[in-house]
Amino acid sequence: MSKRLIANARVTGLGFVDRLVRDYSALVVCLIGLFLVVFIVGMATAPNFLTIFNFKTIIRDAALVGIMAIGLTFVTLSGNFFLLSMKETAALCIICFATSMSSGYGFEISFLLTMVLAIIAGAAQGALIGIGGNPIVVTLGAAGLLFGLGSWWSDNLVVSFRRPHGAEWLGTGSFLGLPNITIAFILIAISAECVLRYTNFGRQVYLIGANRAAGKATGHENFPMAIKVCIIASVCSAFVAIAFSAQVSSAHVNYFSSEFGSSGDMTIMVIATVMVGGNSIMGGFGSTLRTSSGAIFISTVDNMMVLHGFNSGPRVLAVGLMIVFSIIVFALVRRGSRAQE
Amino acid sequence: MSKIKNWVVENHDLAFAILLAVCVYCYFAFTNDLFATHRTTFAIMERFAVLGLVGLALTLCIIAGEIDLSIGSNAALAAVIVVRFTDSLGAVTALLIAVTISTTIGIIQGYFIAYLRVRAIVLTVGTLMLLRGVALFAAQEKTVMLTDFRVPDFITTKMFGYFSPASILVIIMFVLVGIFMNYTRFGREIYAIGGARKEALAAGVNLKRPMIIVFAISGFCAGLGGVIIGLRSGTAQALGLQYLLLAGTVAAFIGGVSILGGKGGVIGAAIGTLTVNFLNTGLVFNVTPAFMVQLYLGVLLMIVIMFQTGSRVFDENQRRRQLLSDVDARRGPLLARRQTGPP
Repeated sequence: MSKRLIANARVTGLGFVDRLVRDYSALVVCLIGLFLVVFIVGMATAPNFLTIFNFKTIIRDAALVGIMAIGLTFVTLSGNFFLLSMKETAALCIICFATSMSSGYGFEISFLLTMVLAIIAGAAQGALIGIGGNPIVVTLGAAGLLFGLGSWWSDNLVVSFRRPHGAEWLGTGSFLGLPNITIAFILIAISAECVLRYTNFGRQVYLIGANRAAGKATGHENFPMAIKVCIIASVCSAFVAIAFSAQVSSAHVNYFSSEFGSSGDMTIMVIATVMVGGNSIMGGFGSTLRTSSGAIFISTVDNMMVLHGFNSGPRVLAVGLMIVFSIIVFALVRRGSRAQE
Repeated sequence: MSKIKNWVVENHDLAFAILLAVCVYCYFAFTNDLFATHRTTFAIMERFAVLGLVGLALTLCIIAGEIDLSIGSNAALAAVIVVRFTDSLGAVTALLIAVTISTTIGIIQGYFIAYLRVRAIVLTVGTLMLLRGVALFAAQEKTVMLTDFRVPDFITTKMFGYFSPASILVIIMFVLVGIFMNYTRFGREIYAIGGARKEALAAGVNLKRPMIIVFAISGFCAGLGGVIIGLRSGTAQALGLQYLLLAGTVAAFIGGVSILGGKGGVIGAAIGTLTVNFLNTGLVFNVTPAFMVQLYLGVLLMIVIMFQTGSRVFDENQRRRQLLSDVDARRGPLLARRQTGPP
């Protein structure tokens, strides 16, 4: 009798949502499907879409946001939501790098100084989050602090340094026809994925994100983890800042704000990339591979809209719609899994 | 005297907020001759009109255990709409349209947060971007401007020495929300879902109702704040007003809310906002650049959070120690009995 009941429950429980839950890779299939749709529509409507040059442009556009998003993915996967200070960390780092370059320290020392600064900023935020501060509020405060520091240091002016400065290879150089920044993006994506999949650290990130209590019970506290993931995110921001600064040979704190770029605030773009890629914002589920594909997806849609001559309004709107859509899909899937418990 | 002492012990957060506000005010009043004057007070009240609304909205959200990140975007959207429509439809109609749209957005957000059971930060970070897009769309990527400047003049007329129509409206709003939060069932539900959500749901509170109310008020406040800013300056930018979130959060946290929810109140929000305003105005008086204000606000927020988290961790440790010692105290005789138990 009871066996039959259980069997019945199993049979009736096999809804569409249930299967989605069982096989999370369906989300990836969804993403690839959407990607193909966009691709085909783009191919059909924009004549310049399907050229190798345009394809390279898409990946190059995705690279900067993508690298930052890969850093943020670690934070999200470890269950610490997201950092609202990504853009501000980058702003402070770009000022540090450019100031150091313009005073003649050379690329290597400037790079090291910037990275040290990023590590300090990340560790401080991570420590505050680790002792139990809410990540959103802590990083909101940190954002104000870092941006203020950057503006104060640069006096809110553009800091520029002369070419040749020894960093052109990172900003504008290319290797085998691919821009170096694209290659960096690909390398960082692959290595981040390897770290998450095959190292102890990666598994700890997933464990703490999926179940913090279980992590604590097995001796994996959130405190060191929060510091580590925040440092990773900050270092990725710093790397993007250096690459961008090397590209334009100058720096200003507003380079990553929405007042400067057309496609919106960098922090929100980065969070959008993490979400659209299909990572669970509550942690424990996702991968940097998804984040990278999310970056390329957003960049493809953006590219197509640019080719069709849309202004920044509809483009920002499209990214917003993508985020909200991914949130809703994700929440529905998760609710389905709750209902079965 | 003992009454005051009791009050302070009972409301130590509020007492701390008042102390901080007085300290900040006195500091600037003593260092700058122009600070403690009628005109400055009027200017502070003018700032209070906008920041107070945002502080109030964020206070309510944090009381409910959530945080509304889209508040700046919502305000910018309202500002753009009101400035665009004032010339053709008149200020009152434009105001109503803008505030209605903002409130509707809040209601939709609240509904989805309750329906999807997601954390508000997750959804509102999406709507932050979405509403920016809508605002850009509504403004056609330009800075919109008024041509008729009678409306800005009316909004900034002085009344009763210190107030303008805008700040009086905001003070009325504070009183209404305060009564609502303290004396109605719905207000208590908001406290309940913030402080102890599982228990509140188990006791029969429908999550949708308080969530929708909180986000409706939040949307309304954001919209009204945006409208006041837009009409007062006569211009609006779709990408502006991003600083509101930080300033409002600082105000809410100074006012004594806890990130865990269920704590704080409208009076705290008012005092927190006033503190931020004193700081802001005072720094402007001492010729501090705008970005330094952001720096100070960031530092202030970090300090408040550090105190709060530190005291929470301390409390938890204390409780754990207490629990352990209780267990020991209980186990001691037991162990003793077992050792010397009956043969």
